[in-house]
Amino acid sequence: MDSYIQEKIHKFEEFVDGHLKPQLVRAIAERDKVFEQQKIFSDLRRSIENLEKNSVTNLRTMVNLGSEVYMQADVPDAQRIFVDVGLGFHVEFTWTEALNFIALREEKIARQIEEYTRLISSIKARIKLVCEGIRELLQLPAEKSLPQRVF
Amino acid sequence: MEQAAAGGKGTVTPLASMFPVNEAQKAAKRVEEKIGEKQKELDCIKEYVTENTNLINLVSRLPDELNHDIMVPFGKAAFFPGRLIHTNEFMVLLGDGYYAERTAKQTVEILTRRGKALDSQVESLMANMKDLKAEASFFDVTASEAAEGLVEIREDYVEENSWEKHSKSDDKNNDKKVAFEDDEYARIMSRLDELEKEELEAEDEEVDAEDDDESAVEQPDAAENDDESDTDEQTDAAESNSENHDNTQPKAKFNQFPHQIYSEIRKPLQQTTAEALSNKYLPQQSITDTSNVFMQTPKSGFNGSKAFTGSIAESADTVSTNSRQQAVTSSQASEPAFDSSKAIIGSIVERADTIPKNSQQQAVTSSQASKPAFDSSKAFTGSVVERTYNLPTSGQDAVSSQSSSSQPSKPVSRFKIRRS
Repeated sequence: MDSYIQEKIHKFEEFVDGHLKPQLVRAIAERDKVFEQQKIFSDLRRSIENLEKNSVTNLRTMVNLGSEVYMQADVPDAQRIFVDVGLGFHVEFTWTEALNFIALREEKIARQIEEYTRLISSIKARIKLVCEGIRELLQLPAEKSLPQRVF
Repeated sequence: MEQAAAGGKGTVTPLASMFPVNEAQKAAKRVEEKIGEKQKELDCIKEYVTENTNLINLVSRLPDELNHDIMVPFGKAAFFPGRLIHTNEFMVLLGDGYYAERTAKQTVEILTRRGKALDSQVESLMANMKDLKAEASFFDVTASEAAEGLVEIREDYVEENSWEKHSKSDDKNNDKKVAFEDDEYARIMSRLDELEKEELEAEDEEVDAEDDDESAVEQPDAAENDDESDTDEQTDAAESNSENHDNTQPKAKFNQFPHQIYSEIRKPLQQTTAEALSNKYLPQQSITDTSNVFMQTPKSGFNGSKAFTGSIAESADTVSTNSRQQAVTSSQASEPAFDSSKAIIGSIVERADTIPKNSQQQAVTSSQASKPAFDSSKAFTGSVVERTYNLPTSGQDAVSSQSSSSQPSKPVSRFKIRRS
């Protein structure tokens, strides 16, 4: 009986360590990627709004050639912008079109983030459940919830 | 078995006890992991190197034209169509947020310097990895050796001095030695007789107490025998050691010079040795009429020791080895008898089985001719000080026979296992 319990606990622990935790790590990494996307698009939106506000027609910037070596670049016509729409495709937009697209994109990204957050919390819940199961098998008393802070 | 004393002088330690196999394997694994990390680092740096060379090419090519049409990146997800202008002006990061405006040539210089730094990094990493690989292979070898049951044998390096003294005083008291030797052998033989008696007594007891658990029954007897015999043998060995140097050493020396003559002499000598050995062992097995046989043995044993010295001199072992070997050969007279008779006791149940085996073993030793004469003495006396490498099996023999002198009951079974 005792060995049976031990075996069971061992299985549970293996499930948590070998299955759930890597899943959690993967989900968090995915969500981070999406966060990065969100930041890229919000930056782009702010930049385009800035261009609009200053009604820029042509533009000079520095281009990074790699290894932090920069060269000046000239953009004669800043009205048209090529935006990454995914899978390596870039679509030529005017500023307003680009802003519309970015809004849609941001909405989608927000949805994705929410999805990932839900996934992560469910994985965390499962880990907690298995841990509780192990606790019950060991017949340990339930942990007291930490005393809530009173402000 | 872990610290079995080799004739009371050295220690035999299985490598596995010092470096447990799984520990060594773990260490090897850890080093492998480290190597993996370093490999990743190296790959990363190599990537930088290729990037750098590509950039050098680009920078040196850019000023060829006045401007280049490109897509100017705007953020990470957007581009503007545009062109590069001022193609001979570069802003190069010097580090810590400082930039310098350089021409293409100057930029290339900076980049080559960076490339050199990267190359030196790659070199140091490679050296590091080489070290780690050597370490890993060492650990692997240790693990495999430990798994194979390699033993480390240590002996103190004291003997040589005493031998030198003896060898100096050697020439003067050459005559005395013969007398000494006779005394010596007489003593050994008397000791042998004692042992034989003990064995016979033990055997009688054994027959009564015969049981499926042989070893358990034998253990006490063995311990008894051991206590006495060990100490006695040690003293015997020590004595014979010092005395034997006197006469054997000069011979060894002498032998080294006139090689041709010696090689002629040696063959007959060794043959006689082989015969002597077989003569010596076979009667002991039957354990009948011991006294006569043993009256014979002194001379043959003496002969044998001569032959052995000769072969040692031939194999050009170290001096200390030599002297130890002497001790072994002389004490051999006592130990093997002890051994073989033990073997017989241990195998009372399967006497028919073991005796033929034993004799076969004898035959092997005697038929082993030139080296083997010397070798077999090793195998029986447990003096395997050297040459465990090229003769692993004989080394093992020796080890087990050593243990037989300390734990007589076990080796028998081991012999059986090996022979069958």
